[in-house]
Amino acid sequence: MAPGAVIDDVRSAVRAGSSWSSPKLGSGIGFEDVTVSYGKLVVLASLSLTIEPGEIMALIGPSGSAKTTALRAVAGFVRPASGRIRIGERDVTDLPPHARDIGMVVQNYALFPHMRVEDNVAFGLRARREAKEAVKQRVAECLRMVGMSAYTQRYPRELSGGQQQRVAIARALAVRPRVLLLDEPLSALDAQIRHSMLQELARLHEAMPSLTVLYVTHDQTEALTLADRIAIMRDGRLVASGPSQALYREPPTRFAAEFLGRANLLPVTLEAADAGDGLARVRLGEISLLVKARPGLSVGRDCLLCIRPHGIAMRPGGRPSNELTGVVRAMQWQGDLHSVTLETQGVLIRMICAPLRDPPSLGVRFPIHFAAEDATLIPEDA
Amino acid sequence: MTSIAAPAIRRTSFNTGWQWVLPPLFFLSVLFFYPLALIVRESLLGHGRSLSLSHYDAVFTSGLFQDALLHTIVIALAASAGCLVLGFVLALVLSFVAFPGARLLARLIDTFIALPTFLVALSFTFIYGSAGILNISLMHLLHVRLPPVDFLYSAWGVILAEVTVYTPFVLRPLLASFSLIEPAQIEIANSLGAGPWRIIRQVILPAAIPALLAGGSLCLLLTTNEFGIVLFISAKGVITLPLLVYDQAVQEFDYTTACVIAAANIGLSLTLYSLYRMIITRFGGFRAGLV
Amino acid sequence: MLVWSRSGRIGAWLLFSLLFGVIYVLPVAVIAIASFAGQWNGVLPSHLTFAHYARAVHSSLSAELRVSLITGVMASAVALVVGTWAALALRKIYGASRLVLDIVFFIPSAVPSVSVGLGLLVAFSRPPILLNGTIAMVVVAHFVLTSAFTYGNVSAGLARLGPEFEQMAESLGARPGYRLRHVTLPLITPYLIAAFSLSFALSMGELGATMMVYPPGWRTLPVGIFALADRGDIFESATLTVLLACATLAVLVGLSYIPTRAASRR
Ligand SMILES: Nc1ncnc2c1ncn2[C@@H]1O[C@H](COP(=O)(O)OP(=O)(O)OP(=O)(O)O)[C@@H](O)[C@H]1O
Ligand SMILES: [Mg+2]
Repeated sequence: MAPGAVIDDVRSAVRAGSSWSSPKLGSGIGFEDVTVSYGKLVVLASLSLTIEPGEIMALIGPSGSAKTTALRAVAGFVRPASGRIRIGERDVTDLPPHARDIGMVVQNYALFPHMRVEDNVAFGLRARREAKEAVKQRVAECLRMVGMSAYTQRYPRELSGGQQQRVAIARALAVRPRVLLLDEPLSALDAQIRHSMLQELARLHEAMPSLTVLYVTHDQTEALTLADRIAIMRDGRLVASGPSQALYREPPTRFAAEFLGRANLLPVTLEAADAGDGLARVRLGEISLLVKARPGLSVGRDCLLCIRPHGIAMRPGGRPSNELTGVVRAMQWQGDLHSVTLETQGVLIRMICAPLRDPPSLGVRFPIHFAAEDATLIPEDA
Repeated sequence: MTSIAAPAIRRTSFNTGWQWVLPPLFFLSVLFFYPLALIVRESLLGHGRSLSLSHYDAVFTSGLFQDALLHTIVIALAASAGCLVLGFVLALVLSFVAFPGARLLARLIDTFIALPTFLVALSFTFIYGSAGILNISLMHLLHVRLPPVDFLYSAWGVILAEVTVYTPFVLRPLLASFSLIEPAQIEIANSLGAGPWRIIRQVILPAAIPALLAGGSLCLLLTTNEFGIVLFISAKGVITLPLLVYDQAVQEFDYTTACVIAAANIGLSLTLYSLYRMIITRFGGFRAGLV
Repeated sequence: MLVWSRSGRIGAWLLFSLLFGVIYVLPVAVIAIASFAGQWNGVLPSHLTFAHYARAVHSSLSAELRVSLITGVMASAVALVVGTWAALALRKIYGASRLVLDIVFFIPSAVPSVSVGLGLLVAFSRPPILLNGTIAMVVVAHFVLTSAFTYGNVSAGLARLGPEFEQMAESLGARPGYRLRHVTLPLITPYLIAAFSLSFALSMGELGATMMVYPPGWRTLPVGIFALADRGDIFESATLTVLLACATLAVLVGLSYIPTRAASRR
């Protein structure tokens, strides 16, 4: 089924005034100083994070950084040692999972193997003792929504991974949850399906703008594509959070910069904290560069200059722009783009550009440019 | 679902849930542990009023008990050893010498667990008994008047029957652990010039040790407790602890002595059971089915 | 492949066939033949007859088969409930107490059946609980002897189940009772059936405890078979043993046909 058809179904369902949009207003998620430990081992250390109603928050971080733990604390499967968890206005810290009014999709979907697709989707509604007719309607509606109407009578083992995924989403949404918790829902799929499912998730949320989503992943592309805001975890701690674009453009720490995608991190010294127009001046080796100013850094301090590979170009663009000359050290053609590594001022800089007709050969010197607004400063951390 | 603030469900999912264990625990306590405790009490008390070890003293020094204990231990050890050898050979062929129907045969042997144990003892009467097939054949062949084979009516008959019945308990974990040996491992050993005996000694046997220990210790427990086979063969002079308990209680109506012997028997069994538990805890995974 | 040479392989098969034949095929075949044997004085019976079966069906012995079946079903059913309950309850307990309780529920399988029977005689012939001389004694004995096996089977099933399905059910709003009925139990049905089958088979062949406690009028088939063999009616006892084995296997085969929708997962 084409994604387009799905979204049309969604739209018509919404227009028909169905319960899709029946919003449970005020159903954000709040972590208030939540600590989780297994025995003496603290795996999640005083997490404080608020997810606004209707927002998609991506929780990313390397393996073992307690993303799943945080999500399971919201679901109620792990009990915080201290701190409170809120869903909407309600403090749910002491509630068992079945009373929390959530929808959940996990990595391997956990579809009930002994139930057909329609019974899987109906499960939550039946557990809530909803009327037969209403259950039937709602199940049909949800399966239509994810494009699985043709598979109601199948058992999960008779479905492909992507189809199981859709059923799992329909099952989670059928109960009209206050919040939707997704734990690496796409990681069991291959790259192509993952991409189309990502778009479909985005469309689903477009159709249900009041649904709050906590999306756990270790894939920054998924997070950047889908999330309004991103929270980055590391070793059980929240190390950065903010609107996706801002976090990508101006990562607060080296870890955040590297985790959200490739970044050139160049060691520089601050020469002038305020060079006018919200810019600062830094020194890289023997040359001086104009970059975006960052408050709180004192002159003379060593910091890192963060430039994304595609922020560097062969021609000047944006103003004011910096120019430096580099020696080509490596060259990689990757189909739809070229990746060039240059050496300048004793550091390596990687740039990405559209495929070059006649790429420069190794050892050649040539100039590169980057706009001041594409270069941000990060305080050098230990 | 209403969205009104927290209803009165408090922390249910975090409860340890001790209260749920109590009903089955109570049931088992009344029907099993209470009788067990009374056996011990009776063995210490007897008809007297005060606790004493005098009954133990009397029983333990009697030749009947010592004989039974010796028989029990010898039969259990011999039968378990037999189970280990037979189980190992059968498992070896079933796993590593491909032939059609191997899986079916393995399952057939497994169904022996479902049959009454005395079936084998009874059929041995027809095969190896004094008027059984073997003896009649031999008498015809050798022209002798007396049955030449009479092992059935000694401890050997019991041992052979128990080997037949309890080998599946060794076979099960062995087949499971053999299925974990990669065929490539054996092929590589083969390509390096190792012959079958060498491969068995150096690759297969080490992998089978946990299963052999688990299965062997379970066999030891089950053969110690076996009653039906010993009763059916009722070889002269071959009496084991369970049979002695039965004799004392049902034939002699001497409950005190029966309880003393039973307590000793239970002590032996529990020791063997803890051995079995220790082995499966140590090696994990290779529970010999059943227990 | 352990043996490459053709002769080696044939040797291995011969060894296997010999062992398998002598140790497993022969006893079963001989019992089966004996159950039809008219007279057996030579190497083979002189003639075959249905007389033993005819007599078995008409005599009190078919009543004994009925007693065995009823006892087996009742004891296994109780054992299934208690064992399943215990296995489910134990999942909520952690640490050392869990280990201890696990051993507690397993211990009945380690105690010799005769001693279990003796214990029941001693305990329930006196107040406060008087059961001696009742059918309940037999059922209780069989329950005690098989409960550990049902507990073990169900525990194994639950251990394999993993928490994800139940947690998913809980997240979808299922209360504990609903979850148990619609998710946990259906998913472990194959193990429940295996548990029941095993304890039923054990109960059908049980001799030691039953000999100690059976009341008049509630004699199980194994006890009847032993009485016959003891009298020297070994052909008749062979017939009944065949009947007992067939009845047991028939029930087990029947149980294995219970449809379990969870069965073909994984
Ligand atoms: N039941 C448990 N007992 C003890 N430690 C646990 C348990 N569950 C998780 N942990 C530990 O908690 C830490 C966080 O685990 P968590 O599953 O939340 O990581 P994650 O960020 O989801 O990783 P991944 O990306 O691999 O899924 C890990 O170090 C893990 O070993
Ligand atoms: Mg995780």
